[in-house]
Amino acid sequence: MTGAAAAVRREAVAGSPKISFAGVEKTYATRGGANGGTLALDRFDLDIAPAEVLSIVGPTGCGKSTALNILAGFEPPSSGGVRVDGRVVTAPGPDRGVVFQQAALFPWLTALDNVVLGVKCRGEARELYEPKALRLLEEVGLKGFERHYPYQLSGGMQQRVQIARALVNEPDILLMDEPFGALDYQTRLLMQKLLLRLWEHFRPTILFVTHDVGEAIFISDRVIAMTRRPGRVKCELRVTSPKPRDYDFLSSTEFKALERELVLAVQSEVDDYA
Amino acid sequence: MSDAKVNPPSQPPSGERRREAPDVVYSVLAVATLLALWVVASRPGMFRPGYVPTPESLGTTFLELLRDGYQGQPLRQHIQISLFRTLTGFLLGVLVGVPVGLLTGYSRRAGAMISPIMAFIRPIPPIAFIPMTVLYFGLGEVGKIVLIFFVSFNYVQANAQAGAANFPIAYRRAAQSIGLTKAQTFFRIILPGALPQIFTGLKVALALSWAVVVAAELVGAQSGLGFMISDAALLFRLPVVFIGIVLIGAIGLVLNLTLNFAEAKIVHWKGR
Repeated sequence: MTGAAAAVRREAVAGSPKISFAGVEKTYATRGGANGGTLALDRFDLDIAPAEVLSIVGPTGCGKSTALNILAGFEPPSSGGVRVDGRVVTAPGPDRGVVFQQAALFPWLTALDNVVLGVKCRGEARELYEPKALRLLEEVGLKGFERHYPYQLSGGMQQRVQIARALVNEPDILLMDEPFGALDYQTRLLMQKLLLRLWEHFRPTILFVTHDVGEAIFISDRVIAMTRRPGRVKCELRVTSPKPRDYDFLSSTEFKALERELVLAVQSEVDDYA
Repeated sequence: MSDAKVNPPSQPPSGERRREAPDVVYSVLAVATLLALWVVASRPGMFRPGYVPTPESLGTTFLELLRDGYQGQPLRQHIQISLFRTLTGFLLGVLVGVPVGLLTGYSRRAGAMISPIMAFIRPIPPIAFIPMTVLYFGLGEVGKIVLIFFVSFNYVQANAQAGAANFPIAYRRAAQSIGLTKAQTFFRIILPGALPQIFTGLKVALALSWAVVVAAELVGAQSGLGFMISDAALLFRLPVVFIGIVLIGAIGLVLNLTLNFAEAKIVHWKGR
């Protein structure tokens, strides 16, 4: 799909949400199957607008990754459903690019081959996909590393490859499950700025799952804090400062106030369990 | 005493300064000691005459074997037939074992069908099947190759299955989310992802294939290194037995090194 076609499609659904969680519940079977299992998500409702950047924060095990996995199509909901452009999600697909926390690059492929595997397998011509992939790798800052294998790249560089791999399919939606969680603080800040720059260029709708409250505020238009299990939306904050943002935003009054509010919201959910 | 000596600069213990001898020195020393023990043991009067052949007698016997062969066949031919039986059976086992193992690891149902059968068969020592293969296939090549195939298949299948089954879920999800079909996922993700474990299986399978071919040749064969050492033992030609054993060891080592080399080239990402 070309960028123009994507823009047209986005315009067609303007006003209606891009992504809509409606009454999503997820129960995991427990060992032995007694007591009806563990309720991970409980009547989870959430609408995300086109090109919005939305982060979900919450304590470990609150079901934030479960929500992302259901939207990605990796797991089916126990009840309720997720719609993308009004259509119910039933399976994973390249329209929703996923960036995983752990090393999900294929170690037997170079950075470039990792990026192009999907388009190549769909039968696209090499003359079309290769220049596009090389441009993307350059854009995420990996010029000169195209032929490197994942084990020859640092953690931050591997995540850059993952982002390029998701973007090469020109997805409307980018799903990111704690993508920078394993990186050191400086690298994480760098990656957050990179993400904002890429968002400006491609304008995808982003669902970003993290436990880092500051990270969520820095990149998002809206941040959702979840309750502990069974996960539900506890509170919702809007970040009004315009994107893209720079590091000075981290010391702004708005950032500090939002951070304080979110930290308290999340921390009140973990206190009893720590 | 001057002040300067109250806090002398720390000095490394003298041991750390001495250069350590490289490991290869110890390896050479150990081998040399073993050879020296052998020379001593083979001297007249140490054991009953002829029980421990001298290094010289091994040398002359080896030259004789190279020149005259053994029991009417050149030495090269004994080696070739043993290698032929091993490699044919091994490769057949790989050709069948890898796809079957990947399938039983990939598909839960296929795994459920084959796992209990393999779990029962695997602990049976392969040599226990030798009489059966002789009974069904006779003393010719087919019986031996079937036996080796069976040994190879067992270990290759088990490891390919483990490789495909213990697959990181992130790989599978990444494959789905970039839009690969089931067939593409199988050939482009599951197969290369299982390669490190497959190679582990290949190494065990090849070593065992080589061991079992010798065992099979001890029983009712007219050629091969296994035949040579059992026949020579009956005729009390001990130098021939010793040379046969050394050859079996050396060829086994070469086979293993070849696979290690292939592994380092093909599975270059393993352990990194």
